[in-house]
Parts: sequence; structure tokens; C-alpha cells
Amino acid sequence: MGPLIPNGIIPAEWNYILAILIGFAFGYILEASGFSSSRKLVGVFYGYDFAVLKVFFTAAVVSVIGLYYMDYLSLVDITRLYVQPTYLVAAIIGGAIMGVGFLAGGFCPGTSLTAVAIGKIDGMVYTLGLMIGILIFSEFFGFLEPLFDASNLGHITLVDTLGISPYWIIFAFTLIALISFLFSDWVRSKVKKVFY
Amino acid sequence: MSKSYQFKRFLTRRYQILAAILFLLAAGLLLLPKYEKHEGISPEELLSNSISPERYITTDVLADRIINQDPSYLLIDIRPEEEFKEYTLPNAINIPLKKIMDEESIPYLNQTQYDVVLFSNDHFYADQAWIMCNRLGYKNMHVLKGGLNNWFHTIINPAKPGEDMPATAFELYSTRKAASMFFGVAYPEEVKQIVVKKVIPKKVITIKKKKKMPVEGGC
Repeated sequence: MGPLIPNGIIPAEWNYILAILIGFAFGYILEASGFSSSRKLVGVFYGYDFAVLKVFFTAAVVSVIGLYYMDYLSLVDITRLYVQPTYLVAAIIGGAIMGVGFLAGGFCPGTSLTAVAIGKIDGMVYTLGLMIGILIFSEFFGFLEPLFDASNLGHITLVDTLGISPYWIIFAFTLIALISFLFSDWVRSKVKKVFY
Repeated sequence: MSKSYQFKRFLTRRYQILAAILFLLAAGLLLLPKYEKHEGISPEELLSNSISPERYITTDVLADRIINQDPSYLLIDIRPEEEFKEYTLPNAINIPLKKIMDEESIPYLNQTQYDVVLFSNDHFYADQAWIMCNRLGYKNMHVLKGGLNNWFHTIINPAKPGEDMPATAFELYSTRKAASMFFGVAYPEEVKQIVVKKVIPKKVITIKKKKKMPVEGGC
């Protein structure tokens, strides 16, 4: 049956409309969970609040388990889902830069916009910086392109790279998630509580 | 009172319970009995496609395409190689029925640039090949109706219509006859004595120009 849009069950014209509606819902949930607070976001780095880690890890695990159950029941064809291409070196460099920006600014791109939505000045400054960063990247793209393209591994997943059944990977991933939750709770109990 | 207390105690363990559910669901995926996934189009779609006569292309249409040198057609002969060597349609490619699922045949069949026309002696084997390709979801697959036998009966050796037949039959016959001549069939009555005209060399009559008399002294 699914994916709904590629299989024509929902017309392709609805693509952007649905994307906007899902975006609204995502932004609302982010804000409602307190993710527009930079103190909460950087809590992961200082060890006093692991909500971000738990929320995003749980979201990933729940969606992958749900998708594979739906694939098993032939509700979704997992092979027809879009897989983002892997740019290994570029992703490592970009990830490091984003990590520094995340810790220094206290937001990630999505949460900075939710902060703007509720009128936070630090969020606005962060978003401005984000735009400048995008401008610089796109202006220097010709210069950065060799680095950007060099490590393109295509649309690969761990299933292709390791040659292991996806079910084992999901199981291992779930275990890692649960262990990391336990570990983060342990870290949190050791760190001095911060009230914000 | 005690019930709500029990419920509250139950709720203090909610994270552990949710984690256990997540773990069980992940383990459940691992333990589910695996089955071979259905590849290609759904059985209902295959059935409706195979009932539909849309896949057939008539010999007349095919002859017209070949004569007009339509580049969008890819003719695939699915008979064995020996028969292919003996006779085939112009520019046809040989992929015997047994090799239709081979790795090297896929680029010819699974593409969207050409209209593929499958043919065999009759359309029986071509239909089998078509079913296999259709089930895998290959696009633009056609079958030559009646196959090469029909090709011979209609294009190469068309039957002359009787005197009591309608005019359309005569028109069709003349079209088919013209087509057969394109494919190299000679008709004795069509061969005309070519009268070679003698080329009479042109006689060039030269006109001698009168010599101008030199101007002489006046009288």
C-alpha cells in the first residue's frame, strides 16, 4: 500500500501541504516539550538534562520499529522509502561544526525556529547566524565542492554496509537506546541539579 | 483508596514499562517468521493486465513502423537461436525464452525508452515472456499478434482478396503487397520491362561568327 504519495494513493500535489502540516505539528511538539529553551538543549552536554537525547532516540527507535512492522504487514514498502545519501567526510566535518554551534548557541536549527516563534531574542540572533552561515556556505560552494562530493557513498544504509538483517540492527539499536537512557539517568544522578 | 494507590505505584514504574514494551517490540521483529516478499506488481493487477488485449500489436502496424523506420521500437525474438539465425524480422534482437530472466537481458527489457515488441512463431511463447516481464513491472511491453506465422500470412504472402470482397479488403491487400515488396518479395506481374531510351547525342550546331571586317579608311 504505502508509501502513500509515491504509490499515488495521495496525489503528489499534496506533498508540500502535508509537509507544512507535519512541520506545524513538529514545531508545536518541540515547543510544547520545552525544546525552545537553550538551557534544556545544552543540558545533554553538561549532564543535567537528557530530554533531547531521550526524545530523539525514542522517536528514531519507535519509527524504525513501526516502519518495519508495517513493512512486514505489507502496509509500507520499505525499499521505496527515500534514503539520504551518505557523504562520510563531509558529514563528519559538518557534524563537528554543528556540534560546536549547537553548544555555543544553545539551539539546533529546528529548535532555534521554535524559539523565534515564541519571541526569544537569542533564538533570533541564532537564526540570523544560521542564515549567514548558509550564505557563506553557498557563496563558497564552488571552493568546498570537491570536499563535499569526495566522500559520496550514495544511498546506503547499515543493512547494505554490514550485510546484516535489518531486524538485528533494529534490535541492537533498541538495546543501545535503552542502555544510553539508563546511562544518562546515572549521569544525571551524579551531576549537580540545575534549575531553569 | 487502595486501588488508586496501586495505580500510582504502577505509574512510578511507567518508564520501565515503556522501555520493556520497546524492547519486546524490537525482539518481536526478530522472532517473526520470515516469508518471501512478493516482488513486482500485485496478482490482481497482473490478472487484469493479462486479460486485456492491449499488449497486442498487429502485423500491419508493425510493418508500418518498420517501413517508416520508427526508431522507438525494439524487436525481440524470443525463439531459440537456431531459428533466429534462419529467419527473423529486420533489426530484431534474439533473447530466447529461457534467457529472458538473465542478467544481460534485463537492460533490453526493463527500460522506458523503447516500445518492446516480443515475438515468436505464434504469440504463445511471446505471451509467456510478456507475463514474466509484466509481473516484474517492466514497462512498454508488447506482443506481436500471431507472431511470425501471421507475419508470413499477412505481410510476406498476403492472400489475394476474392472478387466478392469489399473494397477495403483490396486496399488492405495492396498495402500489404507494397509492404511485402519492401521486405524483398518480388511479384512477376509487377516487374515491368524497363525501356531504355536511347540517348541521342546532342548535335551541337556551332554558329560561326562573321568576322568583323576591319574598319577601312573612308571613301
